[in-house]
Amino acid sequence: MSHTATHEDHSAEVRKEVTKVTIILSVLTVIELALGFYMMGIEAAGTRLLIKGTIVILMLAKAFYIVAYFMHLKHEVKNLIMTVCVPLCIFFWFITAFLIDGNSFRNLRNTYDPHFKAQSTIKVEKKEVEHKEAKEEKVEKKEGLQLDAPRTAD
Amino acid sequence: MSTTTTATTTKLWGGGKSPFDVEYGKLMMWYFLMSDALTFGAFLISYGTIRFSTNGWPDPNKVFKSYPFAAEGVNAPLVFVSIMTFILIISSVTMVLAVQAGKEMKKKAVAINLILTIIGGIAFLSCQAWEWNHLHSEGAWWGMNPFLNADGSASSTNFTNYFFTITGFHGFHVLSGVVINIVMLIMTLTDQFEKRGHYLMIEKAGLYWHFVDLVWVFVFTCFYLI
Amino acid sequence: MSNEAVLHTHSGAHDDHEDHSHEHHEQSFISKYVFSQDHKMIAKQFLITGMVWAVLGGLMSVLFRLQLGYPDANFPWLETILGKWAKGGHITPEAYYALVTTHGTVLVFFVLTAGLSGTFANFLIPLQIGARDMASPFMNMLSYWFFFAASIVMLSSIFVETGPFSGGWTAYPPLSALGDASPGSKSGMDLWIVSMALFVVSSLLGGLNYIATILNMRTKGMSMTRLPLTIWALFFTAVLGVLSFPVLLSGFILLIFDRNFGTSFYLSDIFINGVGALPNEGGSAILFQHLFWFLGHPEVYIILLPAMGMVSEILSVNSRKPIFGYMAMIGSLFAIAILAFLVWAHHMFVTGLNPLLGSVFVLLTLLIAVPSAIKVFNWLTTLWRGNIRFTPGMLFAIGFVSLFISGGLTGIWLGNSALDIHLHDTYFVVAHFHIVMGVASMFGMFAGIYHWFPKMYGRFMNNTLAYIHFWVTIAGAYLIFWPMHYQGLAGMPRRYYDFSIWESFKQFQDLNRFISLVAMIVFAVQFCFLFNFFYSIFKGRKVLTQNPWDANTLEWTAPINPGHGNWPGEIPEVYRWAYDYGKDGVDFIPQTTPVGADESVEH
Repeated sequence: MSHTATHEDHSAEVRKEVTKVTIILSVLTVIELALGFYMMGIEAAGTRLLIKGTIVILMLAKAFYIVAYFMHLKHEVKNLIMTVCVPLCIFFWFITAFLIDGNSFRNLRNTYDPHFKAQSTIKVEKKEVEHKEAKEEKVEKKEGLQLDAPRTAD
Repeated sequence: MSTTTTATTTKLWGGGKSPFDVEYGKLMMWYFLMSDALTFGAFLISYGTIRFSTNGWPDPNKVFKSYPFAAEGVNAPLVFVSIMTFILIISSVTMVLAVQAGKEMKKKAVAINLILTIIGGIAFLSCQAWEWNHLHSEGAWWGMNPFLNADGSASSTNFTNYFFTITGFHGFHVLSGVVINIVMLIMTLTDQFEKRGHYLMIEKAGLYWHFVDLVWVFVFTCFYLI
Repeated sequence: MSNEAVLHTHSGAHDDHEDHSHEHHEQSFISKYVFSQDHKMIAKQFLITGMVWAVLGGLMSVLFRLQLGYPDANFPWLETILGKWAKGGHITPEAYYALVTTHGTVLVFFVLTAGLSGTFANFLIPLQIGARDMASPFMNMLSYWFFFAASIVMLSSIFVETGPFSGGWTAYPPLSALGDASPGSKSGMDLWIVSMALFVVSSLLGGLNYIATILNMRTKGMSMTRLPLTIWALFFTAVLGVLSFPVLLSGFILLIFDRNFGTSFYLSDIFINGVGALPNEGGSAILFQHLFWFLGHPEVYIILLPAMGMVSEILSVNSRKPIFGYMAMIGSLFAIAILAFLVWAHHMFVTGLNPLLGSVFVLLTLLIAVPSAIKVFNWLTTLWRGNIRFTPGMLFAIGFVSLFISGGLTGIWLGNSALDIHLHDTYFVVAHFHIVMGVASMFGMFAGIYHWFPKMYGRFMNNTLAYIHFWVTIAGAYLIFWPMHYQGLAGMPRRYYDFSIWESFKQFQDLNRFISLVAMIVFAVQFCFLFNFFYSIFKGRKVLTQNPWDANTLEWTAPINPGHGNWPGEIPEVYRWAYDYGKDGVDFIPQTTPVGADESVEH
């Protein structure tokens, strides 16, 4: 094993790196949380999307620091890094295709299933509902569904 | 002489040694984690797909807004989950230190850092247990969703379905990580690694533990922030 | 870390060379044949379990072909063996669907995944890369026993009161998610899912082991580009398995929640006769299809790649020629492995898939034709002007190439979404995937068994029986599946119980009967093989030379009956690639021969 060096300075170096990464991870998390709090007051869909995008990028940065330094991947042989990282590229298409089809499925249903569309526009009256009431709402909704259900079975 | 030329050109891959200079166990752990990443990936992507194919979705800030010993009806979103996140990050740090101490063959430091990591893991699990219990008391469970969509319309049960399934699966990983770490601690204290002359097992347990932390980064973002 | 060091940490304690076993303590029956950690024994365990499943799965196909061929006839003996599932000697619709489902599951997963790559990855990887054993023999053993447990659970599902799962091997919800949906969706499905989860664990344990072994434990001089193509193929197979099975596992976990815990991941707007509308809503059945086929498509390559690798090796050995385009073969394997992950939704063109997304999937799917064609042309050019020896293994390898071409070409049809809308779920699809994935891979497996049998058991199989087996099987395979293309083009749907009530499909009654008849003959002929296999283990002609096929690869430098650890002395060192046949007028040069002074180094 090549990493069994026991020099004190090497050890100090590692500790320094760990401290640095810990601080970076904490700062990133705090920024994420700050963005989360900031987002609560925002209604505009575009801005929300922008903030969510930023949070995802920060998430990936955190993932990078954990994998590269805590899991030590950055200090491994380059080939090992490649064999771990390259296959994970399938996630790009995995995520893209699934989400596109999910989105398309919603559009399909909104276009061709008026019941589905209508259901999502009915506001449940009280904003701060007790959970009991919410349950009743659900029961009502189920009954509403039952009436319509044979239509889907046709 | 022809073999020596080949040996220099394809030194790493020439055979007779690991091309990555790691033992097979660490290699297997890495590939197992990749495979586990796809398990979690599939869960989170399914969650995303369902969310994309549904018209409304609850606002996490209105769901996860309490913390232990809080007054009834407190509105403190993101507070408790940030504590959980930091617990996991810190336990990851202690795990790094344990692995590093193992490389330096410092038994005592290994044991102390492992104990800290185990405490961190148990603390995280306790937080999660409290949160589950709290949500359950509000009427949320698999197949039951008392929360409304952000726009005030009725929500499908998939919000809670996915929340409990994915955090549950993550919690299961944390639990097994804690068990693995306890085994490592026992093996350290009984001098098994000293006898072997290396603490490589701790390194593999460390990889697993960091992976659990890594997954939480994604779960945290997907469920609590966006 | 060197191979020797790895070995000593594992098997030093119970090293057992058969040549001088008196020096070591004898292994007990249990540790040698049952809980064996020797890769060769584990391979044989996989093979024989796979063969048992192949017989069962084949028998199931005979039974439902009986229904399709003779929908009006009664077979009293059916009631004797199937009981209430064949009341009055006539298979019930429920039994028919259960048979179809179990046939598919068993053949795809248990025979052609575990039986094929389990057998040959275990057997060939250490022997061909020059390793004493797998990286972790213990995990290897666990891999088999998880598979065994999966087998037992699947077998027991056949005997439950409500019958085994009957919703198709793809287990689409709601049939798989709701116990009320059909009799087979009850405890049969629970057992099916448990069995499959165990199977995923088994395949993961095996796959991790194969990858780590191939990367880490090659003998000195065995660089990646000197590996036989079998190893490359098995390597990509393992990678596919490790990356795709977990997605299936996730899909199954969600399915278990849907079945048992009132969730609705895959359920929406369901109304059941006699039960009413279900509260489960908001999910998407299509999501399961996505998750299933994210595994399902790589799965067909998990089945096919080992066969491709073995065929490449066998074709080269028996043509006495180097494999044509070695690097292109590796490249095309790699390309297939990547594309395998990108094309899953071509199974879902008619689900309401976004057409734009669908067109991307069409493009990616058709791209697979490129590496497949490269492989086919390389096999053909390897045969070209070869000094061909028609051993049984070689015949099956050539048969594989033939089947892969005829089955692969129809894949180009089905990969087009516009054509697929017409052909989807017809017998055209049945014909396509049976030829290209089912029968072709079975041929690869047979080729492998006939070719490596001398290495496995130190004896030869009988050639006459093998030739009968080959010619009847290849003729039968074409006679069974070729006509199905026409039925499919005419719109005849798959998975139907009885076609005689449709005016438009009545014309196929005679054809269906013919297909069923051939299927029965082919099934019967497989017993030639089984008899040959088991008879030859004990009574076959003994192998007298170390290298009966005059092959270059390392397994033929090991003793005729290699003991635990494979090579009694030092592990041989490798100086050249595996395909130096007919080089400089020499018939073959084993990999262990150092490169001569006047010889040019190519690999």
